[in-house]
Amino acid sequence: MTIGVKKVSLERTTRDQIFLPAILEGLLTTARHFFKNTFSPGHGDVDTIRYGEPGVDPADYYPERFRGVHRLMHREDGSVRCVACMCCSTVCPARCIYIEAEDRKDDAEKAPHSFVIDELKCVVCGLCVEACPCDAIRMDSRIHMPPSELREEAVLGKVELMKRGGPSVAVQGGLGADYREQAPKADPRFSHDPH
Amino acid sequence: MTHVAAILSRFVATLATRSRAVAGLCLAMVLGVLTTACDEPPTSTQAPVLVKTEPGTLIFHPSTGPVEVTLVNVSDQPVRVDRPRIDETTPDWVAFTVGEDASATQIPAKGSITFHVGVEAGYFLGPGDARPAVVRGGEEPEPTAANEFREGKSRLVFSVDGVPHTGMPIRFEDPSWVTQYMLPALVKILLLVLGFIMPLASLLTWMERKQSAMMQDRVGPNRANIRIGGLNLRLWGIVHFIADGVKMLFKEDFIPKRAHRALYNLAPVFAVAPALLVFAIIPFGDGICYDQLFQPLSGADVAQCADGRGGTPLQVAQIDVGLLFYFAIASLATYGTALAGWSSYNKWAILGSLRASAQMISYEVAIGLTIVGALLVYGTLEPHALVKAQETTYWGIVLQPIAFVLFFTAGMAETKRAPFDIPEADSEIIGYFIEYSGMRFGLFYLSEFIETIFMAAMLATLFLGGWGLPFGMLTAGGFSSALAATLFLTAVGLGLTVMGVLAWRTSKAGELFGAVVALVGVLHLFGAVYAAFTGWGTAIPHVLVVVLGMVIWGGKVFLLCGVQLLVRWTLPRFRYDQLMSLGWKGLLPLSIANLVITAILVYLLMPGLTPAS
Ligand code: SF4
Ligand code: SF4
Repeated sequence: MTIGVKKVSLERTTRDQIFLPAILEGLLTTARHFFKNTFSPGHGDVDTIRYGEPGVDPADYYPERFRGVHRLMHREDGSVRCVACMCCSTVCPARCIYIEAEDRKDDAEKAPHSFVIDELKCVVCGLCVEACPCDAIRMDSRIHMPPSELREEAVLGKVELMKRGGPSVAVQGGLGADYREQAPKADPRFSHDPH
Repeated sequence: MTHVAAILSRFVATLATRSRAVAGLCLAMVLGVLTTACDEPPTSTQAPVLVKTEPGTLIFHPSTGPVEVTLVNVSDQPVRVDRPRIDETTPDWVAFTVGEDASATQIPAKGSITFHVGVEAGYFLGPGDARPAVVRGGEEPEPTAANEFREGKSRLVFSVDGVPHTGMPIRFEDPSWVTQYMLPALVKILLLVLGFIMPLASLLTWMERKQSAMMQDRVGPNRANIRIGGLNLRLWGIVHFIADGVKMLFKEDFIPKRAHRALYNLAPVFAVAPALLVFAIIPFGDGICYDQLFQPLSGADVAQCADGRGGTPLQVAQIDVGLLFYFAIASLATYGTALAGWSSYNKWAILGSLRASAQMISYEVAIGLTIVGALLVYGTLEPHALVKAQETTYWGIVLQPIAFVLFFTAGMAETKRAPFDIPEADSEIIGYFIEYSGMRFGLFYLSEFIETIFMAAMLATLFLGGWGLPFGMLTAGGFSSALAATLFLTAVGLGLTVMGVLAWRTSKAGELFGAVVALVGVLHLFGAVYAAFTGWGTAIPHVLVVVLGMVIWGGKVFLLCGVQLLVRWTLPRFRYDQLMSLGWKGLLPLSIANLVITAILVYLLMPGLTPAS
C-alpha cells in the first residue's frame, strides 16, 4: 500500500482574515457547553468523578492496578508474610521503608520486628511491590492515603499495615525450580511468528 | 408531558416541604399582589386635573438661567389656558419672571406648550432687607448675612378653562458646596465602589474559574464553604474569593533585593487607582430627587434633579469632557505596568512591562477613534447626555455596529487579558508582576478585573443605552406604556422562571436557590398580567424607577463581563507581532474608516447638522 499525502491548503481565506465568523462559531461552542453544563442535572457533560463526596466510593472508580496505601499480607496462620529480605527498602527510591529483622524460629527464618513506611515520603511508584519476592507487600488496597494533620499519623507501622492485609495464596518462594514447565503455554496469537 | 408534570409536582413538593419559608413568602407575595390588584381606585371628589406642569416643582440656583417649563394637557379634550404668571401673594414673587414666550393659548388634547421662567438671583443676595413691595400673606423670609443667598419661594399660577389651577411651586435655594457636591459624591462613590465594583470584581475572580470550568467540561472550584451552625454552605464555591483574599493577605510580601523600593511599592497603586477613577464618569442611573422619592415624576423633574437642582445625577462626576477624562486617566494605568516591570529589577518583568506599554498605547488609539464615531452621532462627550441621546434616538450598537466590535476588541486589549495577555504571557515571561507576591500581586490581579468591569460599563454606556431599555421603554416616570411594562415583566419573569427551574433541577444544593429565583420570576409574570389588565406601569414611584434603572445597568454590566470571560476562555492568545499588526493594521484603519463613513453619513442624513441650516 502506498502512502498517500493529503494536501492541506494553508491559504487564508477572506473568512479567516475577517476573524469574526470563526470567533463567533467558537464562542457559540463554548457557550453551548457552558449552558449545558451549568443548567443540566448532574452538570451535563462534566465527567469529573467527585471523589470524597458522600455517595461516591473511590473503589468503584479506581482501576484494578491502582496503587493505594500499602498493606502487608498474612500467612495462613495470620503472621506476617514478609521475610525481611530488605528488597523493598533497597529498591525504594524514596528510602521510606524502614525494616528491622528478627528471628522467626521456623522455616521462614526471618520476619520483620518492625516494618515502617513513611507515606509522606513515598512517591507511590510501586517498586516495593515489584521487588518483593514473596508477595508480602501490596498496594492494591484501593485506599487513597488520607490527609493527616500530624506527621506521625502518616507513618505506618507493621500492625497498621497488616490490618489492611489478608491471607495471600501465592506459593511462598515462587513457583519452584520447575517454573518453566508450570508456566501456562504462551498464547499463540501473541507469539512472534518469524515467517 | 409527563416529564413536565413530574417537574411541576417536584417543584411544588420542594416549595411545600423543603422550604416552607419559601412557600410562605410566595403566599405572602401573591396575596400582596392580589390585594393591590383588588384595591379600589381612589374615588376623588375634586375635579380631575386637566393640565400638568413639568417639572412639578421648579427649583432655581443662583447660577441657573431661564428654565423651560411645559404645560401638558393630560385630558382628552382641548383646554384653554390663560397666560401663566407669578402669584403676587407669594413672598418673593418679584424675583421671578415669566418669559415673553408664555401667552394665553389653546392646548390641543394630549398636547403641550412650553415657555421659560427666569430668576433674578441678585434679589436674594445680601442682608435680606430687599423686600418685595407687596407681600400679602405668606411668612416673612429669614434675614441672611451679607453676600449670601437666602432661600425664597413663590408660585406660578394660571387658570385652565377659567378655573384657577393649583399652579407650580417655585423654590430658590443655594445649597452649600458640601451638601450640593461633596456629600452626594461621597455617597455615590461608596455605593459604586463598595457596593458594586469591588463585590463584582471579587465575584469575577470566582466566576472566571467556574465559568471556564463549565465551558471546558470541568467542575471548577467548589470546595470552599462556610459553616453556620450545623449548616455547611458551599454555594457552588462562591466563597472561594474570600479564601483567596485571606490567602493573599497572609502571604509573604517579598521585595527583591535590588528592586527600587519606592516605585516597587507604588506600582500596584498606579495600577488600581486609575482603574477605579475612570468609573467617575460612568452614569449608573438618570438622576434622583431627594424629596419626591415616592411619587411618579416626569422627565423634566428628573432632568432638573440630574442637573443638581433638588437632587443629584447618578454619576460620580458629571463633567462635560467625560470621555476625554477617561482617556487621560486610563493612560495613567500604563504607568502602573511600566513601573512594576522596571522597578522589579527582573528581565522578564521589564519585557512584560515593555509589551504592556506598547500594547496599551497602540490600542488606546483605536479606542479613541472608535469613540469619535459615537461622538459625531450623538454630539456629546458627556456620558450622561450620551445615554439620554440614545434613549430618544437609537442605541449605539444600532447606529455604530462596527464601532461596537472595534471598541469591544480594543477594550479587551486594554484590560491585558487573554487573548491579549501578551504582557502577562504565562508560558513565556509571566509578565510585569512576576516579582510581586501577596496582596500586591492581588492588586494587579484585581485591577484587571476592575478594568473588565469598566469596559463592560463603558460598552453599556456607549452602545447599549446605559440604564435604559430598548426603544425608550423606561422613562423617567416609569415604563413608556403599559405594553412596555408587560413586555419587560414578561421577559424578566420568563427568564428568571426558566433559570430558576433549571438551577433547581441541577442539584440538591441548587433547590432552594432555584426555587427562590423561579418564585421571583413567577411574581414578575403576575406583575406582567397585572400591568396588561390595569395599564399599570406608566406612573410608578420615582425610587422604583431609579432602582429599576440601576438594576438594568448592573445587569448589562454583569452580562458584558460574562461575555468578556467567554471570549477570554475561548480564543487562543495572539503572538506579539500578531497583536501589533491587529492593532495597527486592523483596528486602526477600520476605526478610521468607520469614522469617515460616520462623518459622511452624519453630514448627509442628520437634519439640522448641515451647514445650510
Ligand atoms: S511505592 Fe515506591 S516510594 Fe513508596 S514505599 Fe514503595 S518503593 Fe518506596
Ligand atoms: S521485599 Fe517483601 S519480603 Fe522483603 S522485606 Fe520487603 S516486604 Fe518483606
